[in-house]
Amino acid sequence: MDAAAAADCLEAIARHQDRAAFQRLFAYFAPRVKGFVMRGGADADTAQEVAQETLILVWRKAASFDRSRASAATWIFTIARNKRIDLLRRGNKPAIDPEDWLAAYASDSGEIGKSIDAEQTYNRVKELLGDLSADQMTVIRKAFFEDKTHSEVAADLGLPLGTVKSRIRLALQRLRVGLDGDAT
Amino acid sequence: MTRHRPSDELLLDYAAGALPAGPALAVGVHVALEPASRRLVDRLGALAGVLLESDTGSDLPADALDRALSRLDREPVETRSGAQGEVDGPTWAPAPLRRHITQGVRWRRAFGGFERAELDLGGAGHRAALLKLAPGRGLPMHTHRGEEMTVVLQGGFTDASGSYGVGDFCVAGDGEHRPIADPGEPCIALIVLERPIVLTGPVGRLLNPLVGRDLI
Repeated sequence: MDAAAAADCLEAIARHQDRAAFQRLFAYFAPRVKGFVMRGGADADTAQEVAQETLILVWRKAASFDRSRASAATWIFTIARNKRIDLLRRGNKPAIDPEDWLAAYASDSGEIGKSIDAEQTYNRVKELLGDLSADQMTVIRKAFFEDKTHSEVAADLGLPLGTVKSRIRLALQRLRVGLDGDAT
Repeated sequence: MTRHRPSDELLLDYAAGALPAGPALAVGVHVALEPASRRLVDRLGALAGVLLESDTGSDLPADALDRALSRLDREPVETRSGAQGEVDGPTWAPAPLRRHITQGVRWRRAFGGFERAELDLGGAGHRAALLKLAPGRGLPMHTHRGEEMTVVLQGGFTDASGSYGVGDFCVAGDGEHRPIADPGEPCIALIVLERPIVLTGPVGRLLNPLVGRDLI
């Protein structure tokens, strides 16, 4: 499912409670959310519950999705990771207010001239992913899939902190250059 | 003016949702105020979505979809107004901060001629407070035993490491510093502390036992 089709499904749910659109999103995203949660160390039953609850929340909150601010996959990711934190209640990781987290994607700060369409950014990031090295991908994947800070990732991989920092910086630099054509 | 921004790795920690509540608040407030950091966080969000989508996935049981569908009638789609709420607050407080000060800001005079208001992070380990300094006033000379994150919300301050304006973010680790508020409006800043500060001036040293007991 491409980014535009997924966004269309969310809008169809928001507009007329479209169950067929929900079925399409469920078929596509529920297994991915389950996989993502298992990669973070959860067992299959827990991961399944997170996937179920995430997709139910996707249904309920569809009207707050705004395709100019975030891609459907990004929006669903934010819901999934908050659901995961809710259900796993990892002792040292306090649940973050979903509003706080989603607010980061609400680019309403009047950034005229830089307001590139979220779908376009998403598709470009997808293309650029292939340019990142396997080492860079490992670090970034661990951060997002396991809720780990870069220091925790370094400890996990048995790498010096400086190595992890430079992998992150090089990866993000690659994204900046790919998206802006410059290094700012 | 030089913008003081969090490192790439700290913004990744934030975008990945890996930060404890205190640092997440400090970075979130900065991101709300600084377009360049917001742009990076948006891109990291896109990256997170791409990672989710490119996951090979794990099959659900055959009845999973039916179970979800059977719940939809009891789970109405919320209307947009119910899903998003603007929170009121002082003009200098961006949205992520407003949620922590819905009861208003209770400024209290602190030792050293500034005002402070504690924020409740729900017992999350770090301590967070708002500080208000009149122009030209400084904080007592102090050093840190842990990390201290500062985000300027109004006015500005200067210390040995440079000048900080609205939206600027600084992490102070080891080493003494003595920030002084710039001329103009009073300086208001959000401070998130890993552990209490240590006062290092001649009088300050005597007051450290009080700092340890949260009296300052």
